[in-house]
Amino acid sequence: MRRVAVVGAGMTAFGEHFGLGIKELLPMAVSEMAAHVDKGLDRADIQAAWFGELTTSDGFPTGILADTCGLLDIPVTRVENACATGNDAVRNATFAVASGAFDVVLVVGADKVRESSARSTFWEWAGLTRDMAWDYPLGLVAPANFALHVARYLHESPATKEHLAMVAVKNHKHAVPNPKAQLRYEITVEQALNAPVVVAPFNLYDCTPQSDGAAALLLVSEDVVERYTDRPVWVRGVGLGLDRVMHQHKKDMTTFPPTVKASKAAYAMAGLGPEDIDVAEVHDCFTGVELISYEDLGFAEKFGAYKLIENGVTNVGGAKPVNPSGGLKAKGHPPGATGVAQCVELFEQLRGEAANQVDGARTALAHNIGGPTAVSAVTILSSQRG
Amino acid sequence: MTTVAAVGTYLPPWGSARGRVLGPDEDAVTLAVAAARAALEQATPAGSATAPDVRRVVFVTRELPLLVGGNAAALLAGIGLPDDVPVVEQVGGGPAVFDSLGGAEAGTLVIGVDAGESGPVGAAAALLADGAGVGVEPVGRIVRSLPVHSRENGGGARDYSDARLERERGVGVAIERLELTDKPVVVAGLPAKQARALCAGVPPTLPTTGASAALFAVAALAEVGAGGLVLAVEQGSATALRVDGVPAVRRDSPALLAPEKLTRTPGPDIAISLAAYERAFDAKLRWDAGRCDACGTLALPPRRRCLNCGSEDGWTLTPLPRTGEVYTVVTVHVPVPGLPTPYSLAIVQLDDVDVRALVKVTGAPAGTVQIGDRGRLVLRRVAVRSGIPDYGYALYPDAAEYPDAATAADAGEGAVR
Repeated sequence: MRRVAVVGAGMTAFGEHFGLGIKELLPMAVSEMAAHVDKGLDRADIQAAWFGELTTSDGFPTGILADTCGLLDIPVTRVENACATGNDAVRNATFAVASGAFDVVLVVGADKVRESSARSTFWEWAGLTRDMAWDYPLGLVAPANFALHVARYLHESPATKEHLAMVAVKNHKHAVPNPKAQLRYEITVEQALNAPVVVAPFNLYDCTPQSDGAAALLLVSEDVVERYTDRPVWVRGVGLGLDRVMHQHKKDMTTFPPTVKASKAAYAMAGLGPEDIDVAEVHDCFTGVELISYEDLGFAEKFGAYKLIENGVTNVGGAKPVNPSGGLKAKGHPPGATGVAQCVELFEQLRGEAANQVDGARTALAHNIGGPTAVSAVTILSSQRG
Repeated sequence: MTTVAAVGTYLPPWGSARGRVLGPDEDAVTLAVAAARAALEQATPAGSATAPDVRRVVFVTRELPLLVGGNAAALLAGIGLPDDVPVVEQVGGGPAVFDSLGGAEAGTLVIGVDAGESGPVGAAAALLADGAGVGVEPVGRIVRSLPVHSRENGGGARDYSDARLERERGVGVAIERLELTDKPVVVAGLPAKQARALCAGVPPTLPTTGASAALFAVAALAEVGAGGLVLAVEQGSATALRVDGVPAVRRDSPALLAPEKLTRTPGPDIAISLAAYERAFDAKLRWDAGRCDACGTLALPPRRRCLNCGSEDGWTLTPLPRTGEVYTVVTVHVPVPGLPTPYSLAIVQLDDVDVRALVKVTGAPAGTVQIGDRGRLVLRRVAVRSGIPDYGYALYPDAAEYPDAATAADAGEGAVR
């Protein structure tokens, strides 16, 4: 297989874009990406596109991407893999280039969550990932899916609600310098602990906001990389993992086996391990999920995640910075865009251009989990060709 | 002579001095199921695995959940009866229950349910048998009209508000016309004070006044300690029965709790797929797992491909244990359109089998159940989806003391005064 590089990255700000539809957000992200390709991009060079989107607000997704971005003459494939959609779109595009089928491809991720009334959104989105007869009517709302895991995790591990709050405090702090982030303000542990309860054990600040947004990457083969930049970021590994869909069939809810499987595949492909990761964007849709993921990704030993957050290891400036962008928690979470936007952030980190730069970052990892906890996608990027 | 083999009663935990009220996940069907299961358990000889023979169900209430669409299948599934048992869904009160009880054939399960929004609510069921149990004999019946309280089909309740008219020209005349030879020992359908005035001795106070009250009256003979004349009245009508002794009674009557303050958020109907509903119905309402025909592994919900051996050769519905322990639990506080909040969701490890279930918690204030707590699985109305009651099982935690329950508990047993 050929080596694959990211040579361009761009995204819209994440937020409640009531004034912008999907037909605006998509061209905005793609044009920002194109404008940031070092040696320029002739849009006619793009040979194929992969579009990650969970739901659709204004019609069928691939047609809208092609139509609104001036890409009517190339094949566009939609990727939908719950909240792992973004990194799975990256994965599919990577294989298309690595195989030799294409030299220049586009990856876009987007979602327009704040498009229907908040009350309708509730059941519309829940319907995507629940068993219609058995789980849907229980009111298994999005935070509840993850809370079931985290409640058990807090029961078995030394971690406490204070540790969840510390994750929120860290990621809010990280979002402050990020112009694309949705929640650019700091909070304190006390604020987080005293905030209204959403789904116990999660309070308001343990939860990601609802967001709209789009993100885009340009992936090219090693054969043509020099046409676009002298500072590419290499896609070193990609991985995808699955698990039983219904929570009642998951034996140990203190871990996410999809993350373990996806990261194992990505590490193996990259020939790297967790110790090689200088910076990571980890799926913190809920604070406790970031903690559990430290362990599943191999950053901490089983039930040792609390030590990382307690000791500032995952702060920017620590030994293993996680979510310098603010993460889903504070940057925002338009599900289809999230994984692609993680790679946008890491592209900038690995080129030393990030708003909240991690000094000397050379290798990075992006991670999604979703479905609600039945699928994970991991991407490993590096400034080193390998 | 027909005999009453057993009486089962059920009262929800929620309520006040004025009586019990429905939980947010209860309706006439779930109440009926709870009372019927108590009656059948009582009628099952100790150590016997065979449930008593039920050949006909008479379900009397004025609060049928569905007028079109049917309640019978849910009722049979919840009670655990075969799907070829005839069910009579009867709109009626206490006298109608006694009309069904007096002279019914052995094998008839008569269930009376009160499930009105304003309460008091409750349910009671009596299983008729041949021989074993206490004899029941119809004594008299009078059917008259004095609609002091009324409710149109699909309309609201109306009250003429004339208690003396009701007492003198309603109940008074009805009892006079029955020409009873002796005083009743219990009267259903009247406020406690009024019932006392009619009875020989001091009758036990009944928790309801409608259809279920008639069977609560029969159950109350256990407190009286002797059989006798039992009367069910409703406005201008009355039915009298003679019960020859004290029936066997099982009560499912948890301690009283103050109703929770629930937030109801308007919003779109929760959509239903009737195709999915129909496929899941038996397992979901009978609390059955699919047992792999090849290796015996249980799956909830039943599934084509075995979780363990991968066989796709088939599975057979198998009853699941109805007790278990909480593996993990969360409480939803955020407003959810169409569902009253807060509520707790738990994953329960069922006893003696390798099966976990994701269920709502019922019968306990939200947020009070902890990992490791134990409880039983009971039929509840999980949601109303596009107007269709969606029944399934919920975890009823084993009795615990709830700090907020003190004020409600002062009210005693939820008696109607």
